[in-house]
Formats: sequence, structure tokens, C-alpha cells
Amino acid sequence: MPAGRRGPAAQSARRPPPLLPLLLLCVLGAPRAGSGAHTAVISPQDPTLLIGSSLQATCSVHGDPPGATAEGLYWTLNGRRLPPELSRVLNTSTLALALANLNGSRQQSGDNLVCHARDGSILAGSCLYVGLPPEKPFNISCWSKNMKDLTCRWTPGAHGETFLHTNYSLKYKLRWYGQDNTCEEYHTVGPHSCHIPKDLALFTPYEIWVEATNRLGSARSDVLTLDILDVVTTDPPPDVHVSRVGGLEDQLSVRWVSPPALKDFLFQAKYQIRYRVEDSVDWKVVDDVSNQTSCRLAGLKPGTVYFVQVRCNPFGIYGSKKAGIWSEWSHPTAASTPRSERPGPGGGACEPRGGEPSSGPVRRELKQFLGWLKKHAYCSNLSFRLYDQWRAWMQKSHKTRNQDEGILPSGRRGTARGPAR
Amino acid sequence: MTQREGSLAPQADSSVSLLPHLEAKIRQTHSLAHLLTKYAEQLLQEYVQLQGDPFGLPGFSPPRLPVAGLSAPAPSHAGLPVHERLRLDAAALAALPPLLDVVRRRQAELNPRAPRLLRRLEDAARQARALGAAVEAVLAALGAVNRGPRAEPPAAAAAAAAAAASGVFPAKVLGLRVCGLYREWLSRTEGDLGQLLPGGPA
Repeated sequence: MPAGRRGPAAQSARRPPPLLPLLLLCVLGAPRAGSGAHTAVISPQDPTLLIGSSLQATCSVHGDPPGATAEGLYWTLNGRRLPPELSRVLNTSTLALALANLNGSRQQSGDNLVCHARDGSILAGSCLYVGLPPEKPFNISCWSKNMKDLTCRWTPGAHGETFLHTNYSLKYKLRWYGQDNTCEEYHTVGPHSCHIPKDLALFTPYEIWVEATNRLGSARSDVLTLDILDVVTTDPPPDVHVSRVGGLEDQLSVRWVSPPALKDFLFQAKYQIRYRVEDSVDWKVVDDVSNQTSCRLAGLKPGTVYFVQVRCNPFGIYGSKKAGIWSEWSHPTAASTPRSERPGPGGGACEPRGGEPSSGPVRRELKQFLGWLKKHAYCSNLSFRLYDQWRAWMQKSHKTRNQDEGILPSGRRGTARGPAR
Repeated sequence: MTQREGSLAPQADSSVSLLPHLEAKIRQTHSLAHLLTKYAEQLLQEYVQLQGDPFGLPGFSPPRLPVAGLSAPAPSHAGLPVHERLRLDAAALAALPPLLDVVRRRQAELNPRAPRLLRRLEDAARQARALGAAVEAVLAALGAVNRGPRAEPPAAAAAAAAAAASGVFPAKVLGLRVCGLYREWLSRTEGDLGQLLPGGPA
């Protein structure tokens, strides 16, 4: 048996037709065949059924000349012909159909069950509504923007899949007096939400609940009780500015303005800041920023672009002891830390300044030395290139020195004198 | 009908100066009809999709339910004088809005989560009225008094409402019929106005 209250009967009732000439109703109540004068009636018309249940239907033909036969009639469901073994001729003018273990309706307007004449023309149709009654909505949460309104969101029971159009209605009333009211502005922050724009009382609790109804029944959520003052949120802080702190390469200063909408309501505010480097998706949060409108971020990487956002929590409105609800984050603001002038540990590749060519063979011992350096030293970017450039420089300066001292390339002294080594 | 008969007839004396304005008006109305025909095609496609198969399947041939106060353009329509054709076009465009409203109300119950379809149906009613008024203005400018029989919109709408109340499947079929008639009459109006333009098809 389905959960929730049993709603309207499974066989949906037809609405009473308006008062019109009977001839017009007879003409329009059953579709005529594409050719000939035969018509038919399917029973039941537009039934509502539970998933997994069975359906017995009939197609009764009548027309001119009388004695129209059920021979040759067949059924389709959503355009697909049904196997003949599901049908049987009840009498000369009636074809029956038995469907078992029905699946949920393919479209909300109903599955199209059609009775066809032998030539394929459509004699009659009926729409099946196969689904589930709604389950209890839950997880109602509400917030008030600057105490002016109330927006609530909820989760439909059974994740909302009933295969039938299910209507959700948010109801509210003052706890100790007043009548039930129905929210009217739906889908404001998602498919299961509603917005109450005005006429809300403060300092007194409201009761709020959600009713779900479809052709197979209805269900009601638990009641949420709240005071508007306990669920206040506000706008994100405006005018967020991020700037460098002089030449400090690992710091940025963040400044903002408190949200103006609540300035008259004697509240304290808490703020949160979050920041991330430009290429990252991971935010870091600074949590302990209470009632200030500036903050300094430290321990940042030099020469890096950071995105920063700020949000506000208006707690303590009119002396309320409860925390408010965090606002949305402000629009991201970006700034970069200054570049570092000196290479830090593990940073700053040891790059040669000039483009002096390198020369010299690979030396096994040097290779071992460089390997040891990588493991045990900070300046890990030494390379053979640097070493060869050093050698070239040494040779050049040795040559120059020899010339000064008058030493010939073979090592013999020449006439020039220079400082002795 | 020859092209000469279908095109603008030169008027006497000072009315000759009105011809460019009349031609501009006809051209404008023809463009509107052309645009609305495209919209009507989109409406029909969206409608059949939301009713579910077999409505969108090729070869789907539902019963052609009679719609009180409005029928499809007759095969003899093309052979009528252009003024008579435009009168019939205007009459059909006047009969369509209440029928489209009925279809929209029924679809609001059957497909409440289809705002685009509902909006298209609402727009279609408004657009039919606008085009009908424009065609009437062209007829008036041509000096043709609209003597043709008019559908009584309340009766047509009431009839459609009755059909809509009789069952979901017939309501779906009727909605398809109305959307189809809307497209047919828009296309017909576009063709009839096109014949009034210089160089229009015979």
C-alpha cells in the first residue's frame, strides 16, 4: 500500500461537462474514425493506477451501419502496437485488453492507449496515469533576507519521482493564532522552493510545512517552527578591495564595507574570508574575522595572483542569541603579491646570467657530486652547463692573468708581469 | 485568377500616391505572416512532443475533429478572388485566439511543467489577433468591406471547452487540430498576401 493519505480514487473522476447541446457533446465526446462512420469508446477513460498494477480495458465499437465488429481491432500504447495475446474479443463489438505490471507513465500528460480499426485508423483513445503517491517532503530550510521576506526550500520525498504531476504547496501560519496561509511564489531558488515576500511578523514563531498532492494521494511534511529573527541573512559585503602591504611579498590586505541593509538593526556581524591562488580550486578560509571590516592575509606565495571573497553573518539581531545565516560570497576580487627579490630555500634556480657557451666532457665524479647536491642541498638546480661555463670563465681569466704576467700558454713565463698566484 | 487580378489595382487621382504606402503595408503584413508561420511550425512541434507518442510519429492520423466555428481552408480557396480570400483569412484569424486559449488552459493541466509550450500558445493567440487586424487593415485600404460570415468566438470557445472536458485523449487531439489549423491559416494568409505584391506568384 502506498505511503501517505489515500487521495482521489484510483479511477480518476471526469469533470462534469458544461451545459451544452447534447448533439455537440456526442460529436466531440468520442473521436470519429478517419474513414467511415464507426466510433468507439474506451473504458475506463483516463484511469490513474499504481506502478505495478494491472489494467483491464475495453474498446466498444458502434456506428452506422449497426453491428460494427470488433474483429480486426487492435491496441497501441504510446504508439507501439500491443501483442495480440494481450487482447481478446469479448463480443462482436468489444475488444478487451489486459495489461499487467504497469510501468510509470512516460509523460506527465498521460500514456496514450489507442484503439484502432483494422485499417489503422484511430477509433478512440484513453490516457493512463501510472505512478506513485507522493512521499513526505522533508528537510525544510528557510531564511529571511534582511528580515523583509522568507524563502523556504525543501526536498521532495522519494527524490520527487512519482511519474505523475505532483503539486507542492508551502503553508505557514503564526504558531498561536492566525489562519493557514499558502505561499504563492514558487521555484524562486530551485524547483522545490517558495518565496513569501511580505507581511511577516517578528518576535513570534511561525509554523511552516509542505503538502504534496498528486492523483494518487497526498503527503505532508513535519512542521518547522521558527522565528524570522533567528534565520536572517543579508547581502554580501560590498566594496571588497584587496591590495598589497607595501613590499611585503607574502601578505595582502583585504578591506570591505558592512552590508548597509542591516545598519539600523543593531547587530553584530561575523565575517569570513576565503582565498585561493589563481589556478587552484581549493579555497582557504579565514574564520575568525568578527565585526571588523579589514583583514590581512599572511603566509602567501610571492608573485602569485590570489582571488578573495568575503561573506557576512548577521548574528545577534535585536538581541537574538542565535547565529544568523551566512550571506552569499561577495564577487571575487583579485590581487597579486610582490615577486620575491632573492631566491628562497628550494626556490630560485641557479641560472647563469650570460649566455657563455659551455664546453668540456662529462665527468663521472662531477655527476655524482651534482646528484648528491640534489638530495642534500637547496640549490638543486646546478647543472653541467653551469660548471662548464665556470670552467670557460676560469680558462679565460687564467689566460688573461698569464698575459699580464707574461706567461706563455705552455706555462713558461713571458715578459708581461702580473700578480703572482 | 491571373497575376494581374491578384496584384494591386491602380487607383484613381490622388489615391495613386497611396499605392506605395499600401504596398508597404501589404509587404509588412506579408512579412509578419511569414514570421508567424515559422512560429506556428515550432508550436506544433513542441505540442506533439509533449503529448507523447503517437502524436509525434510520422503517419499519425487522428480523427479530424470538427472545431465549431473554424474549418480548414477549403480546396476552392485558391480559386476565389483575392479580396474574398483575405476576408476568409481574417475571419479565421479572429476565430483562432479563443480556441488557442482553451488549448492553453487544458495544457496547463496536462503539462504544467511545460512553460515554453504554454507561453507559445499564449503568444499564438496574441499573434493571430495582431495578424487578423493587419489583414483587416489591408482589406480596408483596398476598399473591400468585410462581409464574410464570422465565427462567434464565445460559441467556438465553448465548443472547444466541451471537447476538452470530455477526456484527455480527445483534448490532446483537439489541441493538435487547433494548432494545425493555426498553422494552415497562417500559411494561407501568407500566400494570399504574397499574391498582392508586385511580382507575386500567380
